[in-house]
Parts: sequence; C-alpha cells; structure tokens
Amino acid sequence: MRYARLLIIALISHAVADDYQLLRADPSGYPRAVPNPAIEFPTDHLPHPDFRIEWWYLTANLTDADGESWGLQWTLFRQAMTPNADPGGWASKQVWMAHAALSTPTGHRYAERFARGGIGQAGVALNDTGDFNAWLDDWQWTGTAGSLFPGTLDLAFDAINLDITLNSTTPWVLQGEAGYHQKSDLGQASHYYSQPHIQIDGELTVDGETFTVSGPGWLDREWSSQPLAPNQPGWDWFSLHLNDGSALMVYQLRNDNGEPWINGTWVDADGRSQSLERGAIELTAESFTTLTLPTGEQKTLPLDWTLRLPDRNHSWRITALRPDSWLSTLFPYWEGPVVAQSQNPATPGGMGYLELTGY
Amino acid sequence: MLELTDVHKHFQQADGAVRVLDGLSTSLAPGRSAALLGESGSGKSTLLHLIAGLDSADSGRIVLDGTDTSAFKDADWAAWRRDKLSLIFQNYHLVPTLTVADNLALQARLAGRFDGDFYDHLVARLGLSDLLKRLPHQLSGGQQQRVAIGRALLHRPALVLADEPTGNLDERSSAAVMALLTELVREAGASLLMVTHSPAMAAHLDERWQLTNGRLETAA
Amino acid sequence: MRRLLSVLTRVLLTLLSHYRRHIAQTLFLAIGLVTGVGLWSAVQIINDHARASYSEADQLLGAQASHWVRARDGAGIDPADYIALRRDGFTQLYPILETRLAVNDEPLWLIATDLLALPRSESPLGASGGDWPSLVQPPYQTWYPPDLAADFGIGPGDTLMLDDGRQLPPAALQQQPQQGRRLFMDIGAALAVLQRDHFSYLGVGELSSAETDRLRRALPNHLQLVDNRQRLDLTQLTASLHSHLTAMSLLAFAVGLFIVFNAVRFALHLRRPTLHTLRELGASSRMLSVAVLLEALVWSALGTLGGLAAGRALATLLLPPVASSLQSLYGAVVGTDIQLGWARILLAWGITLVGLLLALAWPLWREAQQNIRQARSASDDWAADRQARRWLALFGLLLAVAALMLHSRMSTVTQGFVVLGLSLFAAAFVLPVWLASALRLVERCLPEPAWKLRWALRDAWAQLPQVRVAMMALLLALTANLGVETLVGSFRSALTIWLDQRLAADLYIQDDSLRLAAFTDHGAAPWLVASHQRNGVQIRWSGRPTLIRGLNTNAPDSRALPLADANEHLQDWFDGDNDWVLANEQVHHLAGVELGDRVQVDTAQGPQAFRIAGFFHDYGSPYFQLYLPYATVERLWPNASPEGLALWLSDAPDAEQQAESALLAAGAQPGDWLNQNTIKRVSLRIFDRTFAITTAMNGLTLSVAGIALLAALLALHQQRLSHYAHWRALGVRYREWLLIVALPLALLVALTGLAALPLGALLSSLLVHDLNVHAFGWTMPLQWQWPPALRLAALTAAVLGLTLLISLWQVRRRLPLALKQLGEDDA
Ligand SMILES: Nc1ncnc2c1ncn2[C@@H]1O[C@H](COP(=O)(O)OP(=O)(O)OP(=O)(O)O)[C@@H](O)[C@H]1O
Ligand SMILES: [Mg+2]
Repeated sequence: MRYARLLIIALISHAVADDYQLLRADPSGYPRAVPNPAIEFPTDHLPHPDFRIEWWYLTANLTDADGESWGLQWTLFRQAMTPNADPGGWASKQVWMAHAALSTPTGHRYAERFARGGIGQAGVALNDTGDFNAWLDDWQWTGTAGSLFPGTLDLAFDAINLDITLNSTTPWVLQGEAGYHQKSDLGQASHYYSQPHIQIDGELTVDGETFTVSGPGWLDREWSSQPLAPNQPGWDWFSLHLNDGSALMVYQLRNDNGEPWINGTWVDADGRSQSLERGAIELTAESFTTLTLPTGEQKTLPLDWTLRLPDRNHSWRITALRPDSWLSTLFPYWEGPVVAQSQNPATPGGMGYLELTGY
Repeated sequence: MLELTDVHKHFQQADGAVRVLDGLSTSLAPGRSAALLGESGSGKSTLLHLIAGLDSADSGRIVLDGTDTSAFKDADWAAWRRDKLSLIFQNYHLVPTLTVADNLALQARLAGRFDGDFYDHLVARLGLSDLLKRLPHQLSGGQQQRVAIGRALLHRPALVLADEPTGNLDERSSAAVMALLTELVREAGASLLMVTHSPAMAAHLDERWQLTNGRLETAA
Repeated sequence: MRRLLSVLTRVLLTLLSHYRRHIAQTLFLAIGLVTGVGLWSAVQIINDHARASYSEADQLLGAQASHWVRARDGAGIDPADYIALRRDGFTQLYPILETRLAVNDEPLWLIATDLLALPRSESPLGASGGDWPSLVQPPYQTWYPPDLAADFGIGPGDTLMLDDGRQLPPAALQQQPQQGRRLFMDIGAALAVLQRDHFSYLGVGELSSAETDRLRRALPNHLQLVDNRQRLDLTQLTASLHSHLTAMSLLAFAVGLFIVFNAVRFALHLRRPTLHTLRELGASSRMLSVAVLLEALVWSALGTLGGLAAGRALATLLLPPVASSLQSLYGAVVGTDIQLGWARILLAWGITLVGLLLALAWPLWREAQQNIRQARSASDDWAADRQARRWLALFGLLLAVAALMLHSRMSTVTQGFVVLGLSLFAAAFVLPVWLASALRLVERCLPEPAWKLRWALRDAWAQLPQVRVAMMALLLALTANLGVETLVGSFRSALTIWLDQRLAADLYIQDDSLRLAAFTDHGAAPWLVASHQRNGVQIRWSGRPTLIRGLNTNAPDSRALPLADANEHLQDWFDGDNDWVLANEQVHHLAGVELGDRVQVDTAQGPQAFRIAGFFHDYGSPYFQLYLPYATVERLWPNASPEGLALWLSDAPDAEQQAESALLAAGAQPGDWLNQNTIKRVSLRIFDRTFAITTAMNGLTLSVAGIALLAALLALHQQRLSHYAHWRALGVRYREWLLIVALPLALLVALTGLAALPLGALLSSLLVHDLNVHAFGWTMPLQWQWPPALRLAALTAAVLGLTLLISLWQVRRRLPLALKQLGEDDA
C-alpha cells in the first residue's frame, strides 16, 4: 500500500498541518472504493481518473556482478485536483508526480518530478503501437500490449542512467477481498493489486560506471479517494522476497489512539496468496535510529524490527540495509532495502523493502 | 510733562511676587531734569520702561505731555516714542550697519522731522564731524554714546530717558558725555529723566529722585 | 580616566541641554539631516534594489535561465516541440509566455509559465503557497504583485478588462520570485485567455556544457538556443541612468547638508558663551572639541536613522515609476519589495557624520584657536564676513578652474557628473561675493533722500552672513531645477518631433508572425496605400547588444528618417547599395565611430564590413542599431526574422476599420496592431514617467532649500530680536521693520535667482551636450524655455513670502518680551 508520498497534496490544500493530509481529506464528490466491480486486466492497469489518487509503485532488490546489493524504487502518482469534470488539455485537473530512488553500495540518490496532466508530458496510456506506457518526461515504463510485462524501464537522474527489463509470469495478487482493500474500521479503502514476483535484469550507469544487475522486484497498483482514516498518522510497510521463492507483505497503519491496523499477504512462489489478518501478525520495533538530514533536521526511525507469523511458525529480524534512505521530497518519507534474517530454522531468510511514513 | 499717580508694578518670580513699584507718584515739569537714584534692583529701569511704554503698569495713571496713557495701544506708544521721546542706554544701541551720519539722523527721519541745520549744529557740538562716514564698530565707546545722544536729540523730543548712559565709560569721558548731554537737553528745552548711580552726575540735574521700596522721595 | 570621562559627560550634557531649550533649532537640524539623508538614501535604495534585480536577470521566476530556446522566425514555440524536448530528457526547459498588454493605454506586462515544470529548488509552488487548482483551472487566476494591484485598483477576485476587450482571470495578490511589476498566470490559462497556441520562448535552467551541446543538437531546425546575457547587459545599459539618479541624490544631500551646516553653526554660535564659560571653568579646548564631536556623533546617528526611515518611505513611493521605466526602456524586471542592507546603513551614517564634521570643523577650529578673552569680544562678526566671503570665493574659483580643466578631457559619465558638481559648488561658493558686489552696486545707485531704502540695503549686510548658506543652497536647488527642467523640456520636444517623423505610418503590426499577404491580396487592398515590412536580428557588436534591421530603403518612413548627420553616400544607401549602412547615433557617441568609418559585424557568412553613411536619432534605445536593406539582412543573417510591419492607410474615412476587419479576418487578435497615436501617447507617457523621479527629486530639493531659508531666517531673527526691540523703541513701525528686513532678503533671493539663470543654462547645456551624450548617446538641441524659469521664480517668491510670514509672526510674538528686556540684554 504505498501511499507513500502522496504528496501532491500540498498542491491542493496549502494550509496543511501535515504532509499526508491528502490521504485523509474528505472524499466527498469523488467515487469511493467499493467491493464491486472486480478488478479487470488489462484495463485496470490504466488510470482511473475520477479517483482522487492512484499510483504505480515499483521496488526492487538488485545484485550486481560483484554481489553488491542495490535498491531501486520508481513510483508514478496521479492525483485529481477536483471531483469536477476534467476539461482536459492545459486545463486538466490531473497532476502527476514521480519519484526515482537508487540505493547504491555507497549511498542513496533520488529525484522527484512533477507534471500537469492533459498535455502529454506525463501519463499512463497505451502508446502508438498499443503498448502499455507510464511516463513522466523521459522516465518511462513500456510494457507489451496492454500488459506491464514483459516491459522495460528507463530512468535518468542525478548522473544515473538505468535501463532494465521486467518480466513476470505469476498471476497478479489481488489484495484484500479480490482487490477491495480496507484500511480502517471506518471504511477507508482502496482498490489494490500487486505483482510480487518480477524478474529484473539490466544495466545501471552511475557516475559513468556501468553495472549489470538483476534481482526480484515488486509492483503495487492502488487507487482510492481516501485511503487513510483521520486518526492514522502514518504507516510502516514491508515487502519481502524470501529465499524459497515466496513473498510477504505486511503493514501497519499506526493509530493516534489505539491499536494499529495490521494486515498482510503471503504469496507462494507460484503466485497463490493468502491474507494475513490482525491476529496472525506480530510486529515489533526493536530499536530506533536517529538520522541527521542534510538540512540538519533529525529523524528518529524504527529501522530494526521483529516480525512473527505465529500460525506459520515464522520469525524474522528485519533491519535496514542502509539507514541513510530518507527522501526529502515534497512529501518526505523513508524508503529503502531491508534484510530479513531468519530467526528459526524453518523460516527462509530474504531481502525486501521497508517504507516508513508519518515520522 | 510727566505725571505719575499711584503706579504699581510687580513681577511674578519663582520665589513669589516682587512688588517693584508700589504706589509710586511723581511729576516732572517741561524742561526740567531729574536724576533717578536707587539701589540695584530697586526698579529704576522698570520705571523708565513704563514711561516709554515698553512695559505696562499694573495700575496707576501715567500722564505724558498732558495725555493720559491708560488707553494707549501698541501703535500709540510707538508713535509717542517716535515723536516725543528719546531713549539712551548704557550700550548705545546704534544700528551697526548704518554709518554715523545715518545713525544720527535715524530717529528724526522716522519721526519725519529731519532738520539739516540742527543736524549740522549737533554734529559740531558732539564733535562728530570727522566720524560721519564711519560705522559704529569703528568708534570708541564715548564716541558711540555721543552718536546715541545726537540721535536722541535731533528730532527735538519732549522727554529724554537715559538709563545709566555712561555706565560703560571711564570717569573722564563719562563726565564729558554727561556735561554734553545735560547741556544739549537744556538747549533743546527737553525734559530729562536719567538713571545714575553717581551722586556727582545727579548734582548736574534739577531734581534728584530716590527710589526706595517702590516709592520716590524727591529732593530738590 | 574615569574622572575625565565624567567631566566629558557633564560637558556633553551641558552642551546638549541647549537643544531642549531651542526646539525650533533642534527641529531644523533634524529636518536638515533627515531630508538630506532621506533623499540620498531613497535613491541609493532604489539603485541598489534595481542592481540587485539585474543580478537576478539570469533567473526567471525563481528558476535559472542561462539560455533561451527561441524560434528562428520569431513565431514562438509550439507546445508539441516543448513536450518532445521534455520527453527527450531536457527537464531544464520550461515554457514562458511573455506579452505586453494594455489597459487604458497603460502598458502592462504578463508572464506565464508552468510552475510544475520550473526547475526550482523549492517545491513547485514555492513559499508563495498559491492555490494551484484555481491557478490552472477555469476561471483561472491572475497573480498581481500588491503594488501593481494597488496601481490598477484591483482587489482579490477582481477582473481587469484589457483594451482589446479581453478579460483577465480573477486577481489574487500573490507573487513569484522575479515577477517584478508583471502579472503572473499559469501558462495554460494564458494560452486560453489570450487565445494563443505558442509559447514566447523556453527558459533553460542550468545545463552542463555536454548537455548544452546535446540540446543544441536535439533542437529542431526552426528553434535555436540563445545565451542569456541580460545580467551583464542590464548592468551595463542602465549604469548611466543610475549615475544620473545618484548625482541628483547627492545634490539633494548637499542641499540638506546646507541646512545642517547652518543649524549646527548657529547652535554652536549661540552656545559660545556656554563654551567660554566651560573653558573658564577649566574644561580644555580639546575636551570641548571632543564633546562637540560626540554631539555630532549623536546627531549623525539620529539623522541617519530618521533619514533612512524617510528614505525607505520615499523609495517605496518612487520605486514603482522607476521600475516601470526600467521595464519599458531596458526590459529589466524590478520588483518593488525594498531591502535595506547594512552596508547602506553604515554608508549613510558615514556620510552624515562626514557632513556634520565638515560643518563643525571650521568654527570649532576657529574657536579653539582663540584665547578666551578674544573669543568673548568677537561679537560683531558681520564685518568679518567680508574675509569669509573672499575665502569662499577663492575656493569657488579653484573649483571652477578644476571643472574647466576636467571638462576639456571629460570622457565618462562619472567625470561628467564630477564636472557638474564642481561647477555647481564653484558657483555656490562664489555666490556670496556676487551678492555682496551686487548689493554694493545697488547701494551706490540709491539717492541720498531714500534713507529707508538705504537702511534696508545696509541691513542686507547684517543678514548676509546668516543667510549666506541658505542662499547657496537655494542657488543649487534653483540651478538644478532650471537645468533639469531644460533638459527634460529639450528632450521631450526632441522626442515629440522625432516620434512624428519616425512614426509616419498609420498602423503598426505587433505580431511578427502576421504577414502582409495574409490579410491583403498579394499586398494590395483598397484601404492600403503603402507598407513597410522590416526584418531584424540581434547580435553583439562592440560589447553591446546590437540590433540589425533590414529596411525597405524606399519606404516612406525610411526616406524621412530623422538623421543627426549624414555624408554624401546617403543616396547610395537609399539606392540599396550593400556597402553602406545607417547607424543610430549611439554608435557614433558610445562606440566612437565616425561618418565614413568601416564597421565590421558578425554575420552568418562570417565578419562583414560596412561603411557608415549616416547616423539617425534613436531616442530611448540603449542598444546599437544598424539599418541595412531588407534583402541584405535576409542574405547575411538567414535567421533574421520579420519584425515590425507598418501600414499606410488610404484617406477613406473607414480605412482603419477596413484594415482592422481584414486583420481580424486573417486571425489576428485585437492588440496585435497599434495605431500611430497610441504608440506616440504611450511613448510620451513612458517618457514622462521616466522623468517623474527627476521632477520629484527636484521639487524635494527645492523644498529643502526653502526649509534652509526658513531655518536661517528664524535663527537670524532670534539673534537680532534685541536689535528689533531697539528699532521699535526708536519708533520704527512694523511696516518699516518689514521693509527693512524683507527688502534686502528679497533682493538677495532675487540676486541668487538671477545667478541661477546662467548657471541653469550652463547646467542644462552640460546635461544635454555632454552628459546625455556620454550616458546614452542621444543628442538633441537645447531648448531654453522661459515658462519653467518663471514658474520657478513664482515658486521661489512664494517660498520666500511664506518664510517671511512665518518669521514675521515669530518676531511679533516675541517682540514684547524683548522690549521689556531692552537695555538689559548685554548687561
Ligand atoms: N522681566 C522681569 N521679570 C521678573 N522680574 C523682573 C523683570 N524685570 C525686572 N525684574 C525685577 O524687578 C526688580 C527691578 O528691576 P530693575 O531692572 O528695574 O532694577 P534697577 O533699579 O534698574 O537695577 P539696576 O540698578 O541694577 O539696573 C528687580 O528685582 C528685578 O529682578
Ligand atoms: Mg537698571
């Protein structure tokens, strides 16, 4: 669920007390996420312009020829500024935002971009040859026919050039009840599906040096008009690729006055998934790390966790690969690769991504 | 010429009211001269100011040349001073920008009574013939006072008021200036009221008025 | 040491107590300081502010603008080209639409961009926190800088109606960095509201040289990458304007300093007895000097603070017209938010202190030289004034000689202003001698019986030492007023004549993409008599932006070109000879090129030499300009674009209407063309606004001189009150008193005014024939006009009358007391 950075918000509501207000903003006038109709492919890969927010969210744990670990994140957000009819063109009500971040063996580099909708500078659509295309300026993901896979992703920012191919053969994982995904007891919900099994291969050029990389990636697709309840200040979100080929997503929406909303999904190597409900997940922050941002501001973050699935008798210690993964974007957050160390013999270890918002 | 009846004058000061003149009465006949004697601060100058209309009395009657001054306005006083009166001060008060000749003629011209012959006569009597083209600051104190005397007499005033006219001069020149002044005043037939500290000078005059406690004692 | 300090404090307090008892003097001292520093600092603040804006000229709305991408044919940028470049990875590009609008013939600039595309360091809407959806979605918003909104009487939500009938979106009082006095809109909104389909150009943010090359290669053929040299150019082009302003402010400062000088001297004079007493009581003369200097320090600090506050307020008032002139003349974007830097504050304090010390140094020195007894007795200083006058005159003559010497080898604007300043001060210093000699002459002519007149004239000698400085200030102010009025008058009439010759056509097409053929039948139409299509390109030559213009040499306006000078090859130029060009006179005066000289310019075919056949007047332009035949320009600069299409209409009464319908039918928008009268009117309005600050500064300087006069008179009368009491005791009537006091003063003022006439003429000739030429390269005939001189005379008489009335009232109020104290004053 990556509402990460939802950021565009500030564009809309200037007097916001906190960065994530948009996600809680009153959804009146916008369509709400409802259990029906069911998700349909490939149409649902394309934008749902009436909903307030929507994203295409990719993370990947890559390894180069020397065995060094890299992390990749690319997200494309769409936001509708009003529930009114869209005049289109230069007056379009859509705003696009994209983040690209690379966790390299020596540091963390990222960039954000904005574009208005309606003028072709950014969007998600089928291109001239009928292929899926998600782009903002020269950052773009091109799929095959209506599907995202096999696909390519081209990014260039901050002396980094990235050219990768993305392949996936397992079925899409529909989160929650067939893609209807509830976020609180108050009815906040979204449409949400994922692809946890993406095989990525490609080349990275950083400051003139080229690396051949490969590894697993994870894509989330989600759209909604109000995914957060007013009393939810932020979330901690984990996606793990385990060594036995299965994958695990766990998140908690922290609550100002009560228990967090915990939820998760277990996905087998062949793509079959099972929801993990509240009682099936035990998530504990073990220690906190204080980061000093380039601005001098300090952030204290839980970068060391224990995750237990008692029903399955699994237990991991999850730690950030590189604590320095804060994005001081318009909507600031922490996102970076993590290592999941198995805490008991039957549990496979793994790699993954952690996202911390609202800190 | 001059008749004062029950004149009162006080000044308001920080330490209370000072009664300077307290029911003063006196008179001076035309052509007569009087010396005004008294301690410092006794009110001699104040009396002269009242007679010249430079200040006003609290109460009492001041009759000048047969005219009651109680109804005098500022302009009447100015006219009185211009036409009938002359003031002579210790510090001469010549107009520094005017030549001796112009200073001499000044008041007569203001009064519209310039008399060339009388002017020549006075210049000769005052011994100023060689100094006419000079400016006041180029004269000695005695010379300046002679110019002031000439200026005071040229317009034939009825009354001359002099406040320690020789106070700035040494003894010899002051005696000379005094002699000249009394002589010329007498010649001109004017009355003279002169403040002085010197009994010797007072002796030259017809009357001696002693100012004490705001009243006058007259001695012949 | 501690004892010394406590004595010093006591002495200082004793000295300062004077100001509490002499409120009027204190007030004048403060007014002098505050107005002097205020006028000076107002201009400095404006200059600093403008220069700071120029240094931001490589920024556009908060984004870097190191280059522009422009269309070679002047037609603007197709949004599709822009999107293609963005998708090619050139994220430093952003679209700009910049245009001039008109409201009641008042020019108004609009700039629009896509805030989301701006490569700014801060977030898209920056700190300005605007309302993005309202900005980009109908009915949109127009962002007005507050002062501009105030000028147009616009409040939030109001809509402005343009002269072409279009309505701008509702107003919001918001601004972007470097918006200046421009309106801001979202570019999508601007395209829609102004019915455009092209951007004006693309701004280019910071690019590495590799990326610059890549961009140059990636640009389609019809687009080109242009360096942004605005920052350098603006600083250079506007330098002269700013020196002008500085010179005027220094003059105002000097005039203010005269009041201070007078007030300080008088305060010192009145305290001479106190000073003597203090010396008699054992304070050393050095300690007294230190105390007086400390006093100066206190005053300078107070004066600086007050002056800067006044200056800031004044700058806020004067900045909008200056900013809009800079915008009209140089295209410089100057905002109206004023900053006051520490350097400026310290500088203001420094020069105030220096001014005060100058005023104090001489009397203090003299005071210290004398022993106590001498000092006591030197009371009648009017006679000693002759000596002072001579020294002043001698000094004035030295300045005059220096001015003459410098004038012969003057080559820069700054030198010009130095000559000007030297001449003015030379005149001011010689003035007392002139006044004295004239007085003596008049005196000699008076007949003996006119004794009152003679007295009055003699009284001038008593007044002269006191009003001398005020008269000098008055002379400076009057001279400056006359000189500048003459300059402005000459310039305005030259400009009017020039506009009449230059703007011979009836209609001027503004939209450079409109072609004659688009709205006429192959250039023919019943309403059309003649037309003149020009083309042009901007290059750099001789270190300046230079406009190359291609003309039809036979067009009616080419034939009637207002020339400053030409040689016998002018006919060759008319005949279209490629060898000869016409240059604007700036080329002659600023680049030192003579008739017949060869000039070499860069063309697309490499350097090419031309010879100068003539110089034409080109008022208001800061650029060099060369006129060549149209075809030559087209051949040598293939990227030259058509610009400026002029149309001569037939005599038919509805010719203009027909022309307009034809233009509208061809897709032109109202506002794409202007008629001759509108251009003239707008040009003259810009001219008047440009000189508004000059007029304002002059008026202020004159009022400062008026204040100086009033201060001097009040001081004089206060000093002479005991004299007046004696006059009154002698029977002097008020009428007579007024005559004796006012006549000499009127005479002195009249003599000063008389002296200001030739000096004003000299000043205007310096301004017109030297400074203007060095500064802007514009020549014009000097036109001496009497009305301004008469107006000034009347104004001066009114000021004199007013000051006399005030001082008369003061004297009448105080005289009774003085009379009572008659005979005691010097006991
Ligand atoms: N304007 C004034 N305000 C207050 N008090 C005054 C004023 N003028 C004079 N006095 C007081 O009135 C009194 C008389 O003063 P006046 O000058 O008449 O004395 P005087 O006899 O002339 O003395 P001297 O021989 O010293 O000149 C003095 O006590 C003086 O202090
Ligand atoms: Mg006395």
